[in-house]
Amino acid sequence: MTSETAGWTRTALVERVFSILRDDLLDVGVDFTPQSNLVEAGLDSLAVTQLMLAIEESAGVWVDESLLTPENLESAESLAACVYDQLASA
Amino acid sequence: MTSSRAPDAIPLTGADCFLRAFDAEGRRYNGSSHLAQLVLRLGPGLDPETLGARIVEAAAANPVLSSPIGRRFGVGAPEYRTRQAPRCAPPRLQVHRADAPAWVAPGAAPVPPVFFERLNDRFDPRRGDLLRLDLVVYPDAAADLAFTWLHMLFDGSGSERFVAWLDAYHRGEAGADAPSASDAEIRAKQPPIPLGSRDRGQQAMRWQGFVRGMAQHPPRSLAGGRRRVPQDLRYRVVTLDPARTRVVTERASALAGFLTPMLFYLAASIRAHAAVFQARNQQPGSYVVPLPVNLRAKGGVGATFRTHVSLVWFQVVPEQVGDLEELIEELKSQRRRVIKEGLIEAGTAAMDFARYAPSRVYAAMARRTLRGELCSFFFAYTDQFLPGLDHFFGAEIRGGFPAPSVPASPGSGAIVCLRGDRLNFTHVYQRSALHDDELDCFRDRFIGDLLGSS
Repeated sequence: MTSETAGWTRTALVERVFSILRDDLLDVGVDFTPQSNLVEAGLDSLAVTQLMLAIEESAGVWVDESLLTPENLESAESLAACVYDQLASA
Repeated sequence: MTSSRAPDAIPLTGADCFLRAFDAEGRRYNGSSHLAQLVLRLGPGLDPETLGARIVEAAAANPVLSSPIGRRFGVGAPEYRTRQAPRCAPPRLQVHRADAPAWVAPGAAPVPPVFFERLNDRFDPRRGDLLRLDLVVYPDAAADLAFTWLHMLFDGSGSERFVAWLDAYHRGEAGADAPSASDAEIRAKQPPIPLGSRDRGQQAMRWQGFVRGMAQHPPRSLAGGRRRVPQDLRYRVVTLDPARTRVVTERASALAGFLTPMLFYLAASIRAHAAVFQARNQQPGSYVVPLPVNLRAKGGVGATFRTHVSLVWFQVVPEQVGDLEELIEELKSQRRRVIKEGLIEAGTAAMDFARYAPSRVYAAMARRTLRGELCSFFFAYTDQFLPGLDHFFGAEIRGGFPAPSVPASPGSGAIVCLRGDRLNFTHVYQRSALHDDELDCFRDRFIGDLLGSS
């Protein structure tokens, strides 16, 4: 059974974060995956805030920049996990 | 060796023209150009003749480096006339022999005075005079090298890419025309949306309205309003040791975010300015600071030449600067709002208008909008300086930093970068704008906030 928070599953969040990064924010190729390192893929200060705003629009939760640690920005998967935790605690 | 792919002319970007307006102001009132500088502090090993030869080859392969800037038939948007570059002199390398002791420790050796002189120079863009190099060689063969360029030739990341490429070219690991032939550079050459575009105009008007709103609390700089005296720019560089750098970067990540530490440094800069105002027993209407943001493609190959940035503008009133953490939260909130409301794109649209307006008219409009002063000071955070580059032309890079010039107003600026495990803080100022004790006051508050000890 897949758990759900505020209408989102972890899998759906990973897909959403990944699609925002791949389609809207980063200039990446086919080798970019949900496990790719985001900083190495070009995520910078402007893009990360644009990403957080897009997530806020989709999921209704704002993740403060100070919560975005290197570990959370390791990949789309780890970032989605951070967002999911925020949703759960909201 | 001229690249067969080089076009006859390359248009300046809107951001280039925005900076060109500052250049026109600098020339008109201060007798110097609006320049930027990148300094490398090197160990022994660099051969000046080899560097000079590579620069000549680089200019031949990349005509933008020595292209006259002008408007076609005197009207329209300005452009680099690359076809005329072969008739212009290549960037000049001047070698200076110094008797002074060489580099001692990071941040301890004084900056060679010739670097300040160069930053106060007047370049001639109509004759392709866009970049100059100064090499100061010490008795032990260590050297300081300054690249000084007219602001629109590179932005911060472009200048670092150029230095890295020059070294790679020297080592035979990059082609002669690599920087201008990248896909990203070609993409960046696409002209902006025409001036007549309605959407573009509306965006620019929206940005104008946003800036006009700031005039309700007019900013004030430490230099005061426009001063018609020759500028005499200097800068101070403070380099923190690895232990203190670690404390600072950890605080920056914790308070402002791992990818957005610039808000921590910006907040500390604002408070350092406030400390000097306080010492003068003055209170400005507000602090207005533009923060450059890089608009280059994220993750793709970056362009080398020309400016690809926009600005995020912040404004805080004196009541908001009393507590560092609250100030950071306010800056976070403003930055979020600016991005959310599309004001970065609106600002880019407004800068595009600078391509068509005479520089003097554009600068006058900007100054009038904020009632006299353009901003309180300039600020930039450039992250790691030349990441991954340990040597330049065979010489160990022992340190380095960027230093931009600042016109009046505001007459001062702060730029923060990291070189390996050391943080560099460069405070650029017009000498008559701050007394020595005020410079100390500024530095002490700034460093105190960084370390959490003030």
